[in-house]
Amino acid sequence: MRGSDLMDPHGPAHLPRRRVLRATAAAAGSLPLVSALTSCINLGVEGSPHGPLDVLYLGDATQQQSFDQLFDAFREAHPDIELEARGIAAPNWGTFANTVATQIAGGKVPDVVQVATEGQRLFASKGLMEPLDDYIANDRALVDAYFADVDPQLRTWTETYSSTDGKTYYIPGGYNTAVLYCNTEVFEAAGVDLPTREWTWEEFRRAGVLIKERTGAFLIPLGFGFPFIDIMPWLLTNGASTLNSTWDEGTFDSEGAVEAAAFVKGLIDDGLSPQPGGTFDAVGQLRNNALATLGGGRWPTLDVRRLDMLDRVRIVSWPVNAGHGSPVGWDGWPILKASRKKEKAWTFLTWLMSEEASVFYARNGGSTVPARNSVATGAPFLDQAPPGTEALPEAITYGTPIPSPERGSEVQDAINQGWQAAITGTKPVREALESANERLGGLL
Amino acid sequence: MTAVTTPATERAAPRPATPAGRSRGQRAGYLFVTPAVLLFLVFVAGPFAAAVVLSFYSWDLLTPAEFNGFGNFTEMVGDPLLYQALANTFLFALASVVTHVVGGLLLALAVNRTMSRVLSYFVRTALFFPFVISWAAVALLWKYVLDPTFGVVTHYAGEVGLSTPDWFTDPDWALPAIIGIDLWHTIGFTFIIMLAGLQTVPSQLIEAARCDGASRRQILWYVTLPAMSPTIFFAVVITFIGAFQIFDPVQIITPQGGPDNSTLTVVMYLYQKGFQTFQAGYASAVSLLVFAVMLVVTLVQFWGARKWVHHQ
Repeated sequence: MRGSDLMDPHGPAHLPRRRVLRATAAAAGSLPLVSALTSCINLGVEGSPHGPLDVLYLGDATQQQSFDQLFDAFREAHPDIELEARGIAAPNWGTFANTVATQIAGGKVPDVVQVATEGQRLFASKGLMEPLDDYIANDRALVDAYFADVDPQLRTWTETYSSTDGKTYYIPGGYNTAVLYCNTEVFEAAGVDLPTREWTWEEFRRAGVLIKERTGAFLIPLGFGFPFIDIMPWLLTNGASTLNSTWDEGTFDSEGAVEAAAFVKGLIDDGLSPQPGGTFDAVGQLRNNALATLGGGRWPTLDVRRLDMLDRVRIVSWPVNAGHGSPVGWDGWPILKASRKKEKAWTFLTWLMSEEASVFYARNGGSTVPARNSVATGAPFLDQAPPGTEALPEAITYGTPIPSPERGSEVQDAINQGWQAAITGTKPVREALESANERLGGLL
Repeated sequence: MTAVTTPATERAAPRPATPAGRSRGQRAGYLFVTPAVLLFLVFVAGPFAAAVVLSFYSWDLLTPAEFNGFGNFTEMVGDPLLYQALANTFLFALASVVTHVVGGLLLALAVNRTMSRVLSYFVRTALFFPFVISWAAVALLWKYVLDPTFGVVTHYAGEVGLSTPDWFTDPDWALPAIIGIDLWHTIGFTFIIMLAGLQTVPSQLIEAARCDGASRRQILWYVTLPAMSPTIFFAVVITFIGAFQIFDPVQIITPQGGPDNSTLTVVMYLYQKGFQTFQAGYASAVSLLVFAVMLVVTLVQFWGARKWVHHQ
């Protein structure tokens, strides 16, 4: 249709006025769009001074139930503070961080957000968090009492790795380390003894060969998508890591890393693991006695309980080559700078530090190891858990923080792709890790 | 009381249009199109304008955006991963167009010619059925089917002594596997379009060709296909546009771009840039590139269509 067809033949004299009106209406209509866009990219958003304290955390349906009970306990302890907790069922911390960032960009700023190690430096570096030093100074006795019961490394790591300017932005909450959940029935059926204290990679592999021969069960599911369990335990038990201790240089192509990847590839080549990248249901196969061991932190305990397997599973430390090692990742609880309820938010954080909260969360099925040693080594944490659960808090003593630089998502991609190429054999192991390490160099 | 009747011809005659009546009609027309226009403004024009503006900014979603001029566009020129994503996407789109159009056409010819009515309905339904399943379900289904350890394909191939590749972890096989899955999922749509086009071919043309002694192959080549060319053209354009935006199955089956980025598509790349590495400005620039590529390719297709599409 041409433009002239649109003309009103009865009122050419009215056209200019109508066009002016239409143009004015169009301009007026576009104002909200321009305004929204401008405010969006200028990000002048602030939390609301009204309404409940908004807390954002990561958790699937099962974990949300535990969190809900924890928050109910807070509401009971502080009936004057209204709390709204929103659980995000993200599959990993990276996705959770992305979701939180998108919500903040959209103007929905929480007052408190649970941030894992992987996102702590990123969020702190963006200036989104309120420095907690003054709050800590005002409640010195309470905070000191908390940290007196926490592994000293956890505080040091939080100060070192989770801040770029020396200020304190997070109160460390629970943490996770890497251990193996062993199906005792499979080991028994294969006539293989479970280690009592420490076992080597070679002992682990030999156990796997016997288990495969005698029961047909896989030794362990190996993969490449979740560095905390798939990659880091193998590197750290061989004296290697993906990055150096200051997270500014890649060490993914070190001899120790190459040896670790070659060992893992050997386990896959020997048929001791299902092929990576498939749909293997590890927890289901552990229950069906088709799997001997499963790597994890505290979270598989929830599945072990749910599947009523507490008497068929034992936790042991990760097998070693060069020495003990475990990745450590922990929750950090900050207050957002944009929050207009900072005092209430601090009250919430002080409550999280209390022994009462720690005991409650450990007992009702939390997916992390409580930061308080007294709770992590006591009945609330060890009851209703597989024998050997002590290995989880013990691993923090020889653990290493999971490397989480600011560009963590891209770093993780590079590491995953390198490890994938190495263990699936699409590239020679050394070449795969060297190529990944070169990519890391451009991201740090 | 005397009934006043009006002749039918008089009743049917349109009223003379008055300016007031025409104005009312126009207002009604505007009212009817308003919802569509509003939806277009909010969900298409608005985001498009936002993408244009954002492409000139550097914005990490968390801190205020900074004007970056043409920085994002110059960065795109030197971004090898973007080239790889574009190459993968073009390969996928090309394979998708060829397999869908050829496959859909052959299936339509087979169903149209040789089958009984009952069988024809069954085959139509069976072929179209995968198209109504969500991509998420299809992706997971095929992940199970092609599982390298427990998959049905792996199992039965092993039974007959064949070894299968690790479909989704081998960089040489990941993209072909996804092309195959996409074909299974969406060929029903192309098939239905082709079948509809086939049924619009005038039977008298075919009869005339037959009377002139044309063979079946000649009828297909010189009568049926030319008569169907507008339908084939439509299928080519639609399939290319759909294929160039592929995201769901790739993200679900091979997250992060698959082995060696062999399945990284351009929409997946802009998602990664926007929401995983927090480079919203750069992602917006990539989205404009996607728009430009699709626009150019579609215009080229329309230009080329003048040479081979026969409008009756």
